[in-house]
Amino acid sequence: MAKLIGGLGTSHVPSIGAAIDKGLRDTPDWKPFFDGYIPGQGWVKEHKPDVAIVIFNDHGNSFFLDKVPTFAVGCAEEYRPVDEGWGPRAIPPFRGAVDFSWHFIDTLIENRFDPMICQEIEVDHGIQVPMELFWGRPVEWPVRVVPIFVNVIQYPIPLPSRCYEMGRVLRQAIESYPGDERFVVLGTGGLSHQLQGARAGFVNPEADRAFLNDIATDPDKLANMSREQYVEMFGSEGAELMMWLVMRGAMDRDVVVQHKHYFVPASMTGAGMIVMENAATASPAVAA
Amino acid sequence: MEEKPEQDRIPDTPLFDRKRSLGGYRINKMAMGLSRPENREAFKQDEGAYLDRFGLTPEEKEAVMTRNWREMVRLGGNLFFILKISAVDPVRITEIGAHQAGMEHDDFLRNRLGKKV
Repeated sequence: MAKLIGGLGTSHVPSIGAAIDKGLRDTPDWKPFFDGYIPGQGWVKEHKPDVAIVIFNDHGNSFFLDKVPTFAVGCAEEYRPVDEGWGPRAIPPFRGAVDFSWHFIDTLIENRFDPMICQEIEVDHGIQVPMELFWGRPVEWPVRVVPIFVNVIQYPIPLPSRCYEMGRVLRQAIESYPGDERFVVLGTGGLSHQLQGARAGFVNPEADRAFLNDIATDPDKLANMSREQYVEMFGSEGAELMMWLVMRGAMDRDVVVQHKHYFVPASMTGAGMIVMENAATASPAVAA
Repeated sequence: MEEKPEQDRIPDTPLFDRKRSLGGYRINKMAMGLSRPENREAFKQDEGAYLDRFGLTPEEKEAVMTRNWREMVRLGGNLFFILKISAVDPVRITEIGAHQAGMEHDDFLRNRLGKKV
């Protein structure tokens, strides 16, 4: 049977991709940030997932304001990098897990979630950067992907609790899938940042660190917060952190944190990573 | 119906709600166009003519042409779209942030982002 082997959380700041492209990885501004991901990369190398389900938001690249799906699920054979204004980035296209995507969509609908279904769509830094942070720059990605797009830009955006509930349905889809693939779920976005208005540049390291604890130990608290509380604590764009709840909702109540990392600022953002496994099936903790 | 809009409950934090999305549609559509190379070229060749293609009002046009980020956002521009202008006319995102915060760039880096500059 298909199996969920871990839940990963990470920022997806576009400047991270630009820093890799420009060869800035080892500069003083970026080295401490990237070094913090080495244990996370070690974890995926060791655990060899087959499929990565990545929850992220499009940033006005694949969708314009003419059509804004609250939730959209990709079921394409391939996802190419989209032109965000600077030309498509020179990274390999992502191969889709088509069969699982359709199974997931079926499961969602049966559970009263009604996503947009995307058979042909390009993807932006929201998925690119997390993939690069955990898998580096392979010639070909060693995992197939299922993109889940969440609208966190055009209000009304969904409730944090709704993201959490979607995660539970995702878990059900994984466990009812008749394959023996190993799945990881990536919740992406955040942490605190604000790009617009006179409060631009707002970061909240204290709240970010608390979030990295709570996502493991007290996700119900995070799921019960209002959208306004997210905006207030994490900034207008930092509210996208609620997407980590889809990942967390797919996991058991009790998890083991294998790796964690926080760095501020990556560009204008508090940036963080977490690697979690369900406590019931966790591998022995490695030296963090 | 002069109720205070919900987004203003958090000071200096403009949420992209119905009102801003409707108001900013032209600016955002124009900026979205910059994700195509031929439009980036058109913008570079004759910015005013490119903006006219999207029916920008004189006020919107001026905000774009003077790179007045604060004003573009006030008019409903959303940063994820208008940021594409910086692909044609490069400016760092921290400069866009500093402009909106009304701060010098170094002060912004120091005081908002905690950088040592």
